Amino acid sequence: MTKFILRRLFFGLIVLFGVVLITFIISRVVPSDPAAKWVGPRASQEQIALARIELGLDKPVYVQFWRYLTDLLHGNLGNSLRTRQPITSDLKSRLPATLELVVISSLAAVLIGIPLGVVSARNKGKLVDHFSRLFSVGVVSIPTFWIGLILQLIFFRELGILPIGGRLSIDTTLITNVPNITGFITFDSLITGNIPLFLEAVWHLILPGFTIAMYPIGLVARMTRSALLEILGEDYITAARSYGLKERIVVWSYALKNSVGPTSTVVALSIGYTLVNTFLVESIFAWPGIGNYIATAVTGNDYPAIMGVTIFSTIAYVVLNMIADIIVALDPRVRV
Amino acid sequence: MSEYLEINNLQIGFRTYEGDKQVLNIEHIAIDRGETYGLVGESGAGKTVLALTILNLLPPASALINNGEICFDGENLLAKSQKEMRESYRGKRISMIFQDPMSTLNPVFTVGQQVGRVIQYHRGLRGKELEKKSFETLEMVKLPDASSVLNKYPHELSGGQRQRVIIAIALSCGAEFLIADEPTRNLDVTIQAGVLKLIDELQRDLNISVLFIANNMGLVNVICKNIGILYRGKIIETGTSQQVIHNHFHPYTDALISAIPRDKSEKLKFASAIVRPEAVGGCPYYARCPQAMDVCAQKEPLLEKINNGHQAACFLPR
Amino acid sequence: MIQYRDFLYGLRPRIREFGKSLYFFNRNRLQMISLIIILVLVLIAILAPVIVPYPGQIMKENNPTDKLLPPSGKYFFGTDELGRDIFSRVLYGTRISLITAVIAVAAALLVGVPLGAIAGTIGGMTDEIIMRITDVFLSFPPLLLAIAIAAFLGPSLQNAILSIVIAWWPWYTRLIRGQAVSIRERQFVRAARSIGTPMSQIIFKHILPNTMAPVIVQASMDLGGVILTIASLSFLGLGAQAPTPEWGLMISTSRTYFLDSWWYGVFPGMAIFISVLVFNLIGDGIREVLDPKTRKF
Repeated sequence: MTKFILRRLFFGLIVLFGVVLITFIISRVVPSDPAAKWVGPRASQEQIALARIELGLDKPVYVQFWRYLTDLLHGNLGNSLRTRQPITSDLKSRLPATLELVVISSLAAVLIGIPLGVVSARNKGKLVDHFSRLFSVGVVSIPTFWIGLILQLIFFRELGILPIGGRLSIDTTLITNVPNITGFITFDSLITGNIPLFLEAVWHLILPGFTIAMYPIGLVARMTRSALLEILGEDYITAARSYGLKERIVVWSYALKNSVGPTSTVVALSIGYTLVNTFLVESIFAWPGIGNYIATAVTGNDYPAIMGVTIFSTIAYVVLNMIADIIVALDPRVRV
Repeated sequence: MSEYLEINNLQIGFRTYEGDKQVLNIEHIAIDRGETYGLVGESGAGKTVLALTILNLLPPASALINNGEICFDGENLLAKSQKEMRESYRGKRISMIFQDPMSTLNPVFTVGQQVGRVIQYHRGLRGKELEKKSFETLEMVKLPDASSVLNKYPHELSGGQRQRVIIAIALSCGAEFLIADEPTRNLDVTIQAGVLKLIDELQRDLNISVLFIANNMGLVNVICKNIGILYRGKIIETGTSQQVIHNHFHPYTDALISAIPRDKSEKLKFASAIVRPEAVGGCPYYARCPQAMDVCAQKEPLLEKINNGHQAACFLPR
Repeated sequence: MIQYRDFLYGLRPRIREFGKSLYFFNRNRLQMISLIIILVLVLIAILAPVIVPYPGQIMKENNPTDKLLPPSGKYFFGTDELGRDIFSRVLYGTRISLITAVIAVAAALLVGVPLGAIAGTIGGMTDEIIMRITDVFLSFPPLLLAIAIAAFLGPSLQNAILSIVIAWWPWYTRLIRGQAVSIRERQFVRAARSIGTPMSQIIFKHILPNTMAPVIVQASMDLGGVILTIASLSFLGLGAQAPTPEWGLMISTSRTYFLDSWWYGVFPGMAIFISVLVFNLIGDGIREVLDPKTRKF
């Protein structure tokens, strides 16, 4: 088993290398003038010339790549054109906000999506199945940014009960001293005993959380349903039934354990989609996370930032998939 | 002895996208207490369907139970709900073992977990007692080194071992009637003999009844008291093993038996290929029967007595 | 080329069987409705310039006085901040979305499928190399690669399509390769090889036709996915640029006004939702028909 993990890690490193290579190609080789991209649209000729030397654009390609690689390994993603800060520190400060959304959507995917898929598979053909299938298909077809806007329209504009965005209202951030222990406002306010702050943070989480959770729920429900349908057709399920075991045990224990593999793969995939959906959701709800960061970077032509977020998100995604693969390999059938 | 299991006029069909197709049309099967009954038929004859119907395990979406009754110890099983079947019959009184031992065991649980789960459910044992009982169950099926088998996963065992595990699970809860659906089909010949012997011994030791389903005569000859021949969902001959094997009547039975070459001097005879078109509404064997008569194409023969206990569904003169 | 003739020849029995199962397809009301809606969408796309009530208002404004009017008999979906009729723009947007989706998916198929077939059939080093490259591309979170490429190429609809193709082809390659690997071990392929059939014929006549099923399902669902992706890219500013009447772009522009002019953002979004939904449903329906395991029976 350890051999497998090592092999998988090694493979992951190769993939990461490929990823770095591709990002290098995109940011240095593809554009007509990478230096101009690096310093932004308002740069003067001297600044561009300086950047050209700094980026080593006069040197051969492999030297450039080496510089790029070593920079990365030192955690140097460059500086954002907009904030003028190192991108790494920008990302660090924005990470908790995005993580809150990612955690919500993953929990929703597992706690709502999987049971939904199971119920759907068990009652195949009946009304429950049709409804949940329609729901799953509908939910992955809705444009995330659109549903966010609609929710704002309904709950903020018309009903006035939920805030339009932000993690906390502007008054609160001006008046209160927001604790910053982990960066998770919900968690921090809980452990410092500041209940009103906690409630307000939760209140602000509702709409963005709901919006971002929809796609993963639909995706996971669909996949769980089809995986389970296949499993329920296997002989050992009929055999288990023939021994008189309760249907509840047969489905939730016998059948479900066989679906751990495909389920973890699809949960990882849904987190991947969530990562990108945060770009859309955060910009709509003015949520100060990484998604918002890259969305503003795109409109502002902040190329270093765009690249920084790309690299960062991809590395996270690769690690996630590695974990999912290891979980799949826990299946006793897999020869490791 | 009173009729223990009796199947009457059973008609089962399946919905397909080409329409409804009838799969079983069984007039009568009767099995006594403490008896091993052999059901022989070729692939596609409907043997597994029959086995699943007894326990009502057919896929609900496509299976059609059109007619008939399955009387087990006086009660009609077909009239029972799934809940009743689960609580009173499956595992407790009637148990089943399947053809392919690999696919019958859940690949992600160990043998011990699977055996234990069933025993725990039926007998409510836990902890040390459960372990002990699981161990005893495996010993009952004569598995050497039972304690290490308990910790293994199905794919780590050999075919013969798996089949013994399955027999163990099926009988672990005190079932009095065992349906064995071609239990030796996927095993090597030498292992087959061992499993066969095991089933025979268990039948005697535990005094249970066995419905032994097979696709060749050689298997049922030894251990079965009565034999029924199934062709295309219809019982075409039934009687004691002596009668069916040595005094067989129906041309198909003849074909089945003579397909086993016994002697170098015998010419290879085999069940004839289709020699004439099918007869709708007539005998299902009409198309292949070397002794077909005109009446065979027009009416469907029903089981008629040849001798005491020996019946065949055929228009040939007795 | 001879290979294509072989390929088509190999497809014939499958098409016949597909036609038989279409009868079953027709019994499902939901898929029928989806199919009809798709045909309607295609019609709209083709006839857009003709049926649109205010053809002059697609790009430039014509009527600066009628700004941000709510839906009415005159302007079914209301007007935007430049006084353009939103209904006309949404209808015209059908054309853009459908055409870009078809181009993107077709291009991705053209690149991905042959690569996957070759990798799966030939195996060995070729397989390894192609699959490693595919793996690297697939390690990017979906969409992120498209965003990065589009950002660096420069925002435009064409570049958006290009970046989608670059990000999408690996999915098909992996899909086809998996299929090819399992099929090449089947008896009929071994038989073909044993009598000396050339590799190209094996790929095109024997293996490819048998791998098409999941690809067709995936491609039909991807049509919806690409529409969504293009809309998302345009929303971020990376795809269609003003004044193109692309749905995602319209929603993006609407953000400044939508709290008071709800119609601006709602209708284009609804158009996206419906298009993506029907393609997903059709894909589901096709999968049910082609994959015997998930059939109702």
